[in-house]
Amino acid sequence: MEVSRLPLAPSQKAKLISAGYTIMSFHLFCLNSSYHCTDLNISDTEALEILKLASQSCRVDRLDGSHAIVNGAQTAWDMLHEEEFITRITTSSADLDNILGGGICCKEVTEIGGVPGIGKTQLGIQLAVNVQIPADRGGLEGKAIYIDTEGSFMVERASQIAEACIEDVLKNYVFQRKEYQACQDEMQPKTFLANIFYFRICSYTEQIALINYLDTFIAQHKDVGIAVHAMFVKVVILDSVTFHFRQDFDDLALRTRVLSGMALKLMKLAKKFSLAVVLLNQVTTKFVEGSFQLTLALGDSWSHSCTNRVILYWNGNERYAYIDKSPSLRSASTPYSVTVKGIRDAASHCKRIRMM
Amino acid sequence: MQPQNPLNLPTQKCTLGCPILDRVLAGGIPCNSITELVSESACGKTQLSLQLLLSAQLPLSHGGLFSSSLYIHSEFPFPSRRLQQLSLSFRASHSYLFPSHDPCDRIFVRGVQSAEELLTLLGKIDTLLVKSPSELPIKLIVIDSVAALFRSEFENTPGDLKRRSSLFFKISSKLKSQAKRFGLAVMVTNQVVDLVDSDGLNGMRVGNLSCLYSSGRRVVPALGISWANCVNSRLFLSRDYEIVREEMGSEDAKGGDILMRRRLQVVFAPHLPQSSCEFVILREGVFGVGV
Repeated sequence: MEVSRLPLAPSQKAKLISAGYTIMSFHLFCLNSSYHCTDLNISDTEALEILKLASQSCRVDRLDGSHAIVNGAQTAWDMLHEEEFITRITTSSADLDNILGGGICCKEVTEIGGVPGIGKTQLGIQLAVNVQIPADRGGLEGKAIYIDTEGSFMVERASQIAEACIEDVLKNYVFQRKEYQACQDEMQPKTFLANIFYFRICSYTEQIALINYLDTFIAQHKDVGIAVHAMFVKVVILDSVTFHFRQDFDDLALRTRVLSGMALKLMKLAKKFSLAVVLLNQVTTKFVEGSFQLTLALGDSWSHSCTNRVILYWNGNERYAYIDKSPSLRSASTPYSVTVKGIRDAASHCKRIRMM
Repeated sequence: MQPQNPLNLPTQKCTLGCPILDRVLAGGIPCNSITELVSESACGKTQLSLQLLLSAQLPLSHGGLFSSSLYIHSEFPFPSRRLQQLSLSFRASHSYLFPSHDPCDRIFVRGVQSAEELLTLLGKIDTLLVKSPSELPIKLIVIDSVAALFRSEFENTPGDLKRRSSLFFKISSKLKSQAKRFGLAVMVTNQVVDLVDSDGLNGMRVGNLSCLYSSGRRVVPALGISWANCVNSRLFLSRDYEIVREEMGSEDAKGGDILMRRRLQVVFAPHLPQSSCEFVILREGVFGVGV
């Protein structure tokens, strides 16, 4: 709520604006009215009055007649209803989708980590392609933002994966001949590639700057206008979040602060635009109790920053995915494979999901 | 900060000088990315690197980068005689492309003794990359080998390993940003160490191959998993001895002949499936054999 629109006396408005308050954000203002008194040079009672007026104007009136004092608060009941509409992005592997509860969840930050060569970038590219599957074929029909910090994104591979995805989508639907032709013309690998916004990042400052900029960027790309199906960005993939933070951060506390700030921004982005944020992470060795153990990079404090955590690892000759942390999914692991078509189910005969 | 359309991303590759090897790599060494060549000594790393220095000069129509190359070596002495030999046969087989000048004129060589020296050097070569001393810009950097720079001065303590790991990321980051800025192809070579404790972290599988074998021993690439995170693709060269039994009744049937088999395998790469081929090292260079 803009200060200028509040029903306050002009002198009060002027005091607020000159002190730097232009948008009345209720959370901040009511924290400490005495602080604001000295800041704004107004009396205690005046501050309380402003708060009262502001809360009345800021109140979010809802359809059922109730109102939320604080903008953005919801009851758990409402949230439960909302959850039914949360969309998920398929990974193209039914087993993997299963342990993820249907796919990578929008409105959440998912971290995926593993050793080099396990398929993190492959999964990232697969998601950037799968998010574009049209709505009437069961997809999100969205665009993707792919932030490449390591230079692992190879166009030819993305093209291969896009082609295979289109083939699979077309194969699974029974069409009349002219519908099929129209569909085939609409879905081309070239269009799929063009819908991936690709950013190449070469330092940690660039990474932070870009993540700060994403809010504006995604908002700008909300209205596409001419297209029959307007497509919004529905997934942000960061490959990898770690690379630029593993060199030369002498002050580890600074690194932790920077990383948590980044994680917070990404979480806000996910919630604000209802998109999925996928962070790819590397593994490192940690010296624990006299021996080296394998762990995801960026330290213990980072492990709290993401909503969900999936670990990819080798089990014999097969690639496995394991849900390491999730507020709603149970721990489970399943095999998957990386084929010429992208991520697919493992080739093993008895596909089973081991529940832990 | 503007995004790029992936369709406009460069997809150039540098040929290795042999179509069979190129097929394993889907065209050659990719630009804008770091490719690592891992093997034990005398497997062909340096041979392949030298060959790459020459094939980079081929025009784009022949799969090359039409560029000069920079060779940074940490093992001494520099194999100049072998380079001369390769250069002569290269020139002979592409005589119409190099009528007057020596391919060696487009190869710049620099030796470094330590990791810090390498990092300093990488900081200083920007001017060289912008304006090359020869008429062709530098588009290929080969570092042979990166392992030798780290083998001696780091103890096996957590503190030193952390310092070493930090250097890996700094070097890799600098190389990648230059690769992106100038469209370079970067190749680094690495050594192997024997694997003693196969249950420990060192024996952990990285990539397509569950175990790497060379000369009948189980090996792992040097520099650990930190360095593995710093490269985009890893290729493994190995050699093995095979005893070929002679047929009975042939003239010199005495038991068996020992044949040396050399193999190039893709350990991991974002754009390659698990593929491999055999190769041989001849006077004219390194060539793939087989289908």
